[in-house]
Amino acid sequence: MEYTREIYWNVGHSAGTLVPMYLFAFVAIGLLVKGFLRRVEVYKQGLPLDRTDQRGRRIRYMLENVLLQKKVARVRWPGLLHGLFFWGFGLLFIGTTLIVIQADFTDLLFDVKFLKGTFYLLFSIILDVAGLVCIFMLGGLLVRRYFYPPEGLETKTDDAVMHGLLLTILVTGFLIEGARIAVTELGTPLSYWSPMGLLVAHGLSGMGEGGLRALHKVTWWFHLLLVMGFFILIPLTKFRHIFTTSTNYFFGDLGPKGKLINLDLENEDAETFGATSLKEMTWKDIFDADACTLCMRCQDRCPAFNTGKPLSPMKVVNQLGEAAFHNPEANLIDSFSKEALWACTTCRACQEICPAAIEHVRKIIDCRRAMVLMEGEFPGEEVMAAMEATEVNGNPLGIGYAERGDWAESMGIKSLAEDAEVDVLYFVGCYGSFDKRNIAVAKSFVKLCQAAGVKVGILGKEEKCCGEPMRKMGNEYLYQSLAVENIEVIKSYGVKKIVTTCPHCFNTLEKDYRDLGLEVEVESYVVFLEKLMASGRLRIDAKELSCTYHDSCYLGRHNDIYAAPRTLITAAGGQLVEMDKNREEAFCCSAGGGRILAEEKIGERINIKRVKMAAATGAQTLVSNCPFCLTMFEDGVKGAEVEESLRPQDIAEILAERIV
Amino acid sequence: MKILVCIKQVPDMESKFKVDAGGTWYAKTDLAWRMNEYDEYAVEQAVQLKEQVKDADLTVLCIGSEKVKETMKKALAMGCDRGAHIADEEADKKEPFQIAGIIAEYAKEKNFDLIFTGMQSQDRGSGQVGILVAEMLGMPGITTVVHFAYKDGVIEAKRELEGGVKACVKVAAPAVITCQLGLNTPRYPTLPNIMKAKKKELLSVPAADLLKVESRQDTAKMYFPEKKGGGLVLEGDPAALVDQLIKILKEKTAVLG
Repeated sequence: MEYTREIYWNVGHSAGTLVPMYLFAFVAIGLLVKGFLRRVEVYKQGLPLDRTDQRGRRIRYMLENVLLQKKVARVRWPGLLHGLFFWGFGLLFIGTTLIVIQADFTDLLFDVKFLKGTFYLLFSIILDVAGLVCIFMLGGLLVRRYFYPPEGLETKTDDAVMHGLLLTILVTGFLIEGARIAVTELGTPLSYWSPMGLLVAHGLSGMGEGGLRALHKVTWWFHLLLVMGFFILIPLTKFRHIFTTSTNYFFGDLGPKGKLINLDLENEDAETFGATSLKEMTWKDIFDADACTLCMRCQDRCPAFNTGKPLSPMKVVNQLGEAAFHNPEANLIDSFSKEALWACTTCRACQEICPAAIEHVRKIIDCRRAMVLMEGEFPGEEVMAAMEATEVNGNPLGIGYAERGDWAESMGIKSLAEDAEVDVLYFVGCYGSFDKRNIAVAKSFVKLCQAAGVKVGILGKEEKCCGEPMRKMGNEYLYQSLAVENIEVIKSYGVKKIVTTCPHCFNTLEKDYRDLGLEVEVESYVVFLEKLMASGRLRIDAKELSCTYHDSCYLGRHNDIYAAPRTLITAAGGQLVEMDKNREEAFCCSAGGGRILAEEKIGERINIKRVKMAAATGAQTLVSNCPFCLTMFEDGVKGAEVEESLRPQDIAEILAERIV
Repeated sequence: MKILVCIKQVPDMESKFKVDAGGTWYAKTDLAWRMNEYDEYAVEQAVQLKEQVKDADLTVLCIGSEKVKETMKKALAMGCDRGAHIADEEADKKEPFQIAGIIAEYAKEKNFDLIFTGMQSQDRGSGQVGILVAEMLGMPGITTVVHFAYKDGVIEAKRELEGGVKACVKVAAPAVITCQLGLNTPRYPTLPNIMKAKKKELLSVPAADLLKVESRQDTAKMYFPEKKGGGLVLEGDPAALVDQLIKILKEKTAVLG
């Protein structure tokens, strides 16, 4: 006997079943499509943005994240539950589709049956186990949400509907299977290929055939209606994420990571710059809101949110969605609140973890651009003063521009104006040039280059701030003026390679300046030094050092440089104790996003919180790679009262102390 | 209403200053230039007044080389309507009486209702120009203004005097106002206004056409103040520091009797 089963058993494969069934299906799918078409109209309120280039890459990224649930799985338990549920539900969907294909197409039209023999046995057991896995995973998620909810998890009617509906669909599925098995398969070897169904069948077997058949028929139709209801609810509830989140991977930002859109400031037709309303956001920003599942991962990692500031990246995304669907004329800056918008450090923790490929930071910068460029508004007078200082002297510290290269005189380093024949141009940055603490880092870096026989030059008084803090604060005009001047100077000397000790400079030159015509290779000093050491040109004595390492946002999340700094620290003899929040999960120092220019007036100090995390490792040195981080930590060790036990140092300083 | 605001381009005070070869002014190398701080208050107040009365025409005037136009553009971006550039390569060699003379000559037949300027420049700091312009035009001059209100042709202002005392002044326009720190917070120009500023009228007139007065004073010499003493930073063990400090106080001062 060949293993198989009668499809449409008990309900009958007649017009009496098929006509209402397909009618329901068409209506449900029609409503699903209609629901989404209405949403598409809402997305279209946004500005155009091309997110359909490089389709191969986009499709690969989407498949990786949908089928393999890569980003979802980044948070272990909920990720695992969701992943297993997804695969289980996917198998059930495929199984049901196979049944429809055989019964109503291949068998009906061509007499071809494939659900038989060994394939049927596998089909049977796989679907049975998938159903069971789905019930357990959904149960787990339900217990998490309703009994042990993580702090801040928003639970709405949507969630109750979704959990209830899915659970009922799964349970009724097993009831149908159990009733069928109780009548047709009990006692046959086939029944063992549906273990869960068999268990249900045993439970129901006392009902007698008449009762079982009645139960089967009623439950079958009920199950069908629930599934149709599920289709209809997809666009109307968070179920929509099945489509929107998946699609959002396709539409995702392919990078370079975190690179902002270059505003065309010469465009004479432009009446507004930045975004104050929905019409000035892109369609992708609105779509993002529809892809969000309120999983809270962004909010859990946001340094502003976690120190009592009025910013939640999740809320920004949702308030935008709220405006798009219910109040398209709303002033978004008021919806988000100015304090929330200014609080962002652009640390990218939200975007890096987001399992829906949402771009939070760009939205915030767009609003900041509107505040600065259209209203001349800043988070405080100190920021406006820093902007003006930069306009005049090319640095936010307001120090005379002619002194920019003074630190290097004692090191025998010349400016390119004096000697342009160099191996690398060291783009020093404002803090390395003017801030006493960071001049020590610049000098250490130069010492390392000199020890390795690399001839370094600087731009000296011709260098200006790279413009990063200004750009992230929304001052695109000042950023572009600075960038254009820097690029012109760099080009005029025929520079072959640029090295930076500031990750903000690095990120800006390496990514943002490309839009304005910089073509020279740019490297971060950690990568540059690692290569010098690997090639044997730079020799370092390993000397014991108890330390922990802080991944700056702009070397870490923005540029994925995690290994090189650790290699350098280890080579220097560092016994590295990692903080709980490291690498992609590192907690910002507070100074990104132009916040280095601003006073932190609301909530707990972010830098102190980070220093406390470092102090908790018991390490004696807090190693960093960024002048802003170093500045914040020098201040933070005082605030956290660990000055005596924890010393902030830059990687370059540690290495320079160990030159052979 | 016609408003004139007179501004000066000055070096940023953080710059490295050197005395030039002539020995009577600072050298122009390695300097970053900006609008005189007090003139920024003047521009802001003039723009606020224009916004208040709506129907006003606001001219910004600046004397100097081609380079001062950069600073004038900022004033235009802040809200001035037109620029009057008095082209003069040697403006820094002119004394305040001549500068005031040029401005008065420019303004005399233009019937300005109000003339704003800074109370002094950050580089020369003579504090003379505003008050001289008022005198030359026969208008009342209100100096060091920290509060300004205008209604129906009458100005109510507060002047900052010595020792924290303020004088309340009420005067009918036309008048010359010189602005002091604390009057307002100058705005940051918006991008659309920066763009518009590029297209605003900015006409140059040679200074020679307007210079009708003789200089009355000369700069004889410019020099850095002589270094006398300086701070002393004591470092080390607190107990030893106390002894050291007492010793210094005894030897070098009379505070310990």
